[in-house]
Amino acid sequence: MVEAFAVASGKGGTGKTTSTLALGMALADSHEVTIIDADTGMANVLFHAGLADVETTLHEVLAGEAGVEEATYERFGMTVVPCGTSLAGFQEADPTRLRDVVADLAADTDVILLDSPAALSSRTAVLPIVLADRVIVVLQPTVPSLSDGLKVQEYATTYGTGIAGLLFNRVTAEEGIERVADKTERYFEGDLLAAVPESDAVRAARRASRPLLAHAPDSAAAAQYREAAESLTVRSGESTAVADRFRSAVIPDQP
Amino acid sequence: MKLPRGRLVRSRVVSSLATPLRTVLDRELTGYARLESQDAMLLDADGAGVLTFEDGVPAVAYHTGTDAGGVDALADIAVAGPHRLELYELDESALAEVHDADELVVPPGLAAEHLVGDGDLADRLREAGPEDRTAADHDRGLDAVASFLEDEERIDSIRDRARAEAESRADEWGFDVTDGG
Repeated sequence: MVEAFAVASGKGGTGKTTSTLALGMALADSHEVTIIDADTGMANVLFHAGLADVETTLHEVLAGEAGVEEATYERFGMTVVPCGTSLAGFQEADPTRLRDVVADLAADTDVILLDSPAALSSRTAVLPIVLADRVIVVLQPTVPSLSDGLKVQEYATTYGTGIAGLLFNRVTAEEGIERVADKTERYFEGDLLAAVPESDAVRAARRASRPLLAHAPDSAAAAQYREAAESLTVRSGESTAVADRFRSAVIPDQP
Repeated sequence: MKLPRGRLVRSRVVSSLATPLRTVLDRELTGYARLESQDAMLLDADGAGVLTFEDGVPAVAYHTGTDAGGVDALADIAVAGPHRLELYELDESALAEVHDADELVVPPGLAAEHLVGDGDLADRLREAGPEDRTAADHDRGLDAVASFLEDEERIDSIRDRARAEAESRADEWGFDVTDGG
């Protein structure tokens, strides 16, 4: 069984990568979890997961220079596929190969989390949303972030991808969040999974190159991510069927 | 809200207000920005947003089309871009009266958060702003969000446009579109 989630927000700075790894670790208590850094132009996962020094990344896989297994790393109870940071690596990578990478990894895992680009402006940026079964929309309680989150939802549903839930992140006025939470849910197809407070623990974890749930498991933010993971019902599908679906996704060659 | 015209510092069409807000802060400009929506598709695109500055920090906001003031005005301005921006410099004394209007006041960091979505710039503005106005900043931010979420027509128009964009790009990008999804 496997379900692929895109963790997306449409705008940068919402804490997508922190959220991807935190949800991944929380889900790893009960599932086999694979994290893929699908933000090939602005890699971040490697810095959050202590993988900054690894030689082979998704870039080499997407460039056809390495097999997927060479770019997978077992860290923090999860399988992590980081992306590299070099411009050359990005330029040589063929993003449409991501479909095959997801298909290959789908065979051996329960949950795939795709850390997605903070944009909707190109086919590469939208591809993870198209490939995923459902999207987890990461929102900050600000007008631009909500506006962008709505756009992510419309893109996803237009391309046949569902909404698994919403995550309010970097919440600074915790007492007040409830009065906007209900109104926000009215416009989204998924429920609010949790509201994660802005936290020094998140910054400290990032500096330590460790996921929040490894670095500060007792923090309030970590507790909210665990709550979000519990609220998320992972749907099972036959992994071979899923793999076939990814392989047959209609993505023509680059023009 | 009546303001003297002041000295025009710049006039241009901008898709993001990040650079203008940074410029105003770096120059510690006192004056105001007039922001006219360039998007004729928006339902209430009439009128203009006005955001005043004191020593580079946003002070009060008003929208002449919706008659909204304070954080509600920020919500109206936020989704109306791209804008024609006219930036005027004014003497502080010319702004004293409107800066005393409590219903128009915006906490210093909120313009950056709600017009640009830039947390770092918001932090800089909070540091630069007077203490009495920064205290309630975070809580007032949710007022702008709540005001935005009340405006169903506006949200529908954001969703409709995103859907139309996604559908038209599906052809270009070779993605399948789900019927009625």
